[in-house]
Parts: sequence; C-alpha cells; structure tokens
Amino acid sequence: MNQPAVKLEHVTKQIGRKTIIKDLTFDIYSGEVFGFLGPNGAGKTTTIRMIVGLMKISQGNIFIHGKSIKTEFKQAIKHIGAIVENPEMYKYLSGYNNLVHYARMINGVSKERIDEVVKLVGLSDRIHDKVKRYSLGMRQRLGLAQALLHSPDVLILDEPTNGLDPAGIREMRQHIRKLAQEEGIAVIVSSHLLSEMELMCDRIGIIQKGKLIGVQTVNEFIHSDTNQQVQFYVDKPKKSSQVIIDSLSLSNVIQGDTYIELSIIKEQIPLVCEALIKADIKLYNIKTLEKTLEEKFLEVTGGVSVG
Amino acid sequence: MANFFNLIQNENMKIYRKSATKIMFIILFALILTAGLIIKFGTHEKAISDNWKQELIAQNKQDQKVMAKMSGNAKNYYQERIAKNDYRIEHDLKPTTGKNIWNFTDDATNNLMTVIILFTIIVVSTSISSEFSWGTIKLLLIRPVSRTSVLLSKYISALIYAVVMILFMFVVSWLIGGILFGFGGLSAANLQYVDGHVFETNWVVYELKQYGLLSITLVMMVTLAAMIASIFRNSALAIGISIFLTMGGSIIVEILSRFDWVKYILFVNMDLHQYINGTPFQKGMTMGFSLSVLAVYFIIFVILGWLFFTKRDVAA
Repeated sequence: MNQPAVKLEHVTKQIGRKTIIKDLTFDIYSGEVFGFLGPNGAGKTTTIRMIVGLMKISQGNIFIHGKSIKTEFKQAIKHIGAIVENPEMYKYLSGYNNLVHYARMINGVSKERIDEVVKLVGLSDRIHDKVKRYSLGMRQRLGLAQALLHSPDVLILDEPTNGLDPAGIREMRQHIRKLAQEEGIAVIVSSHLLSEMELMCDRIGIIQKGKLIGVQTVNEFIHSDTNQQVQFYVDKPKKSSQVIIDSLSLSNVIQGDTYIELSIIKEQIPLVCEALIKADIKLYNIKTLEKTLEEKFLEVTGGVSVG
Repeated sequence: MANFFNLIQNENMKIYRKSATKIMFIILFALILTAGLIIKFGTHEKAISDNWKQELIAQNKQDQKVMAKMSGNAKNYYQERIAKNDYRIEHDLKPTTGKNIWNFTDDATNNLMTVIILFTIIVVSTSISSEFSWGTIKLLLIRPVSRTSVLLSKYISALIYAVVMILFMFVVSWLIGGILFGFGGLSAANLQYVDGHVFETNWVVYELKQYGLLSITLVMMVTLAAMIASIFRNSALAIGISIFLTMGGSIIVEILSRFDWVKYILFVNMDLHQYINGTPFQKGMTMGFSLSVLAVYFIIFVILGWLFFTKRDVAA
C-alpha cells in the first residue's frame, strides 16, 4: 500500500508518573474514514491532541504524510484540518470573520475558497451573524468549515455530529463519506454515538485505558461472530419451537408472540425453514438480527462505558 | 508560510472588535473631558494680571527667603522656580495657568498614562489567556505557524494598541484643551530646567519625550502581564496580579526601602524621570544602572512567558 496519511508509531503519553496512552501504533490511509472508539477517559482526545501537536508525545512519533509532527510541525500540520472537542470560535466575531481569521494563518486560502466552504457546509445565510447567536449545530458547521478551509489531506473530527439534528447528522455523514471517497481525504472521527460510526466509518480502532484493543473494518467488527440471532415469524410459535427442538436438537430457542428466535449459523437457516414447512407451519418472515456496533463495543470493552 | 503581518492583523481584529475595547476608548475620552470641565469651571486660579513681572519678582524674593532656611534636595524646587521666573522676566514670556491647551495636554499625559497602562495590561492578558479559557487556542495552534509567532503577534498588537491609545489621548486632550481654554494658548512657552539652566522646548517634541519615558513603565508592565497570562492561562489572575503590582509597586518599595537591595526591584527603576529632572531613588543609582536592571527583568519576563506558552501542553 502507499504511504499512510497518518502514522502512529509506538505513541506513548506520560503525565507525571501516569501513563495515559500506551504504545499506540496504527496507520490511517487516504480515502478512508477511520473511527476512533473508546469509553470516556480512554484517551481518544489525548491521542487526537498529540496528532495535531497540541500535546507533546512522550515516546514514539506521529507522521502526517511522512512528516513528523514533533520535528517538522509546520510541514506536518498544514495537511491537517481539525476540530478538537467542541468547535470553539470567537463568539463576538461573525462566522465569516472567524473564517477570515483562520484563512490568514495559512497560505493560499482565497476569498472564493472561503465562500465555497461556507456554501458547502450550508451556512451562507447566517455567515455574517455573530457566532454567539449560532446554535450548536451551526457552530459545528462553522467548525467543519474552518477545518476544510485549506483543503487538508487529513481531517480530524472530534464528535462531529454532536448537537446536530437528525437531518444535520445525515448531511454531515454524507459530507464525510464524500470527502473521503471523492477527494481522497483521510478522515479520523471520534464519536460517542456508536451507531453513527457504523454508518460512517470504514475501519474502527478501539481504545481502552490508553491501549489499542484492536483495529477492524466495520464489517469484520459486526459480522465476526459465526452465530447469528435469527427470528422466524410464524403462525404458531409454540408448536414451532417444539418442532425445532425435536428435529434440529437446538436448545436455546426463544419464543415470542409471533416469532421464535434462534442462535444459529447461516447454513442452518434453510434447515429450519424446511423443518417448519414440513410440520405445516406458516412461515411469514425471516429476520437476521445484526448486532449493532454498540452491543459489540460493550462486549469488547466489557460493558464498562465510563472508564 | 503565512506571514507575520497576517497574525498581527488577526490579533488587531480580535482586540478592536471586542466591545470592552470600545468601552476603554469611551472611558478615556470621558476622563479627559471630565478633567477639562473640572479645571474650566471648578477651579479658581487667579488670572495672570498685566503687571505679572512685579508679581514674579515678589515671588522670587519670597522663595529665596524660604530657601535660605532649607538644605539639600529640598532647595531644588525653589531654585527651579526662581530660574524659570527670571527667564520669563528676561524674555518677556507671560506665565500660563493650568487653563492652557498645552498645560492641560501635559497634565492629561502625566495623569492618564496609568489608565492606559491598566487598559493595555487588560488587553494583553485577555488576548493570551482568553484563548485558553474559551478553548479557541486549540484551533489557533493547529495552523502552520509557530507558537512563538502567535505569542509575539499578541504581544506586539497589544503594544500597538497602547500606541493607538496614547495618540488618542494626545489628540483628544489637545482638542478638549483647545475648545475649553482656547487655541490662543498654543503659543505658550514650554520652559524646562536642567542642571541650573532654563531653556525653551517645542511642546510636541516635549510630549513625545514624556510618552517615551512613561512608555518604559508601560512596556515593562505589559511584558510582566503577558508573562503572567501565559504562565497561568487565566485572565482574572493575570489582570489582578499585574494591576496590583502596578498600583502597589510603590507600596512594596516603601516597605522594603530600608534595605540596600531595594534598588534592584523593578518598580524603583521604571521611572527614568528621576535621572532627568529629579533625584535618584538611592544615591549612586544612574540611568545606566536602571536601564541594565530593566533589561534583566525584561529578558526574564520574555523567556519565562515564551517557555510557558510554547512548551506546555494545551490541555484546556
């Protein structure tokens, strides 16, 4: 594969005697959306702060397109656009002046580019209002706008959908996917809305207590189990469960009002259907219950959501 | 990389668009106007009569009697007055009262400079620490700009603000002085007394020199405030400590005045008037000594402020 957009090499952070981040190593490539997942206090924000150079790296190194954030800060950081935690802006300035402010800090951002970005995030109507009159959602959009101003190759978003309404969340998700797919940007997203991650990310890195537990693609992550929960909607649930227990010798059958639920592998589904039909039971619907990322996540992190 | 001028422009935008800054200009204007009105209507200074020469001669005689009973530095005040009176009589220069455009401008300079120092302390402290308290620092420091240039741009733009304030004060007090006391007073002579000699100087040049001398205090206090703000990252603390030191500096000096090492304290050395037309705080102190002490303080403030701003993690 080509050079990673972001490369973390044995990154460790110590504050006093405490080790906050232990030996993180992973790569993020151009064109992918990488989800950074972990309970509160696991070290997500600390890691993000080290990637953007707000915090020093105790041991190890971070490279942005091959440039070390430690030793070639300016060369490395110019590739990055970011929102770290909440998008805090100068409240007494207009949204537009906030963007002008950041545009002046990097070469090559024209007035046209500012207008373009404002349009992209859908703030055209309110851009000349003072930021103190913005809703959280509008601030989030303005935050995205400042991160995109200089057309970065790496976009880092901490809780990007925080404060957005459902339509806004959908829009933000589409933005992020589009930026990754069409413009080849590497996007790092952290979010506490795990269901969001599932829809947005290509790969997910799970961090707990400062350690990386694993990096998996979203599909792997959700479908790694061989057993699936499958619901069969039938007219006689009671009889059905008896049939299944007798003919297929399955033990853990859950019986609902209109269905039975089984924990089986894919290949067993036709066998169940056959057995039900032979016993003259009407089969209306078969539904596979996919585990959501949230359930998976709690499983992996041992159900402790606040660390 | 983005040039430094852009950073200054950014800081200026953040300073002047804040309503607190606008209020500072209004306060300064109100103070000058109030002082002018009080002097115009509230004081009853005797007008200068036509036979002012006789009056000056009489005053000189009186002063000489008083002086005869005195010794040492106390005499200086009377010596200066007598010399100036003699000069006026000799060159036919009618004395002026406080109700003169130039005297008023000069008074405003000497009395309101402290206000400008306080305002600039507030500006530099908020400029640095509010970035931390608002969290905007996180978006400010992730640009291809070194932390050193960010800090320097804040410091320089605060000094620019002080210059703007000083010019504002000069123009406003000159105009209010002119409107209240008449622009006819512009011709008044500015007599200065140095080393036993009296000479006339140009008012504008003289005021610029005053600003220059007072600006040493300003620069030192602003640098101190900037250092405190970058160490504590808290506006209230930075403003509080700096203002306390500006106001209370003389009290601290007073308390410590019995020690010999008091001459190394910052506040003793900030007033360079003591070497130009006054007596040094301690015998043996010279302009060169004070400038060296100030330079050492300045370097310490700059290095500490810079280290804390550039080397510490942003965790806010």
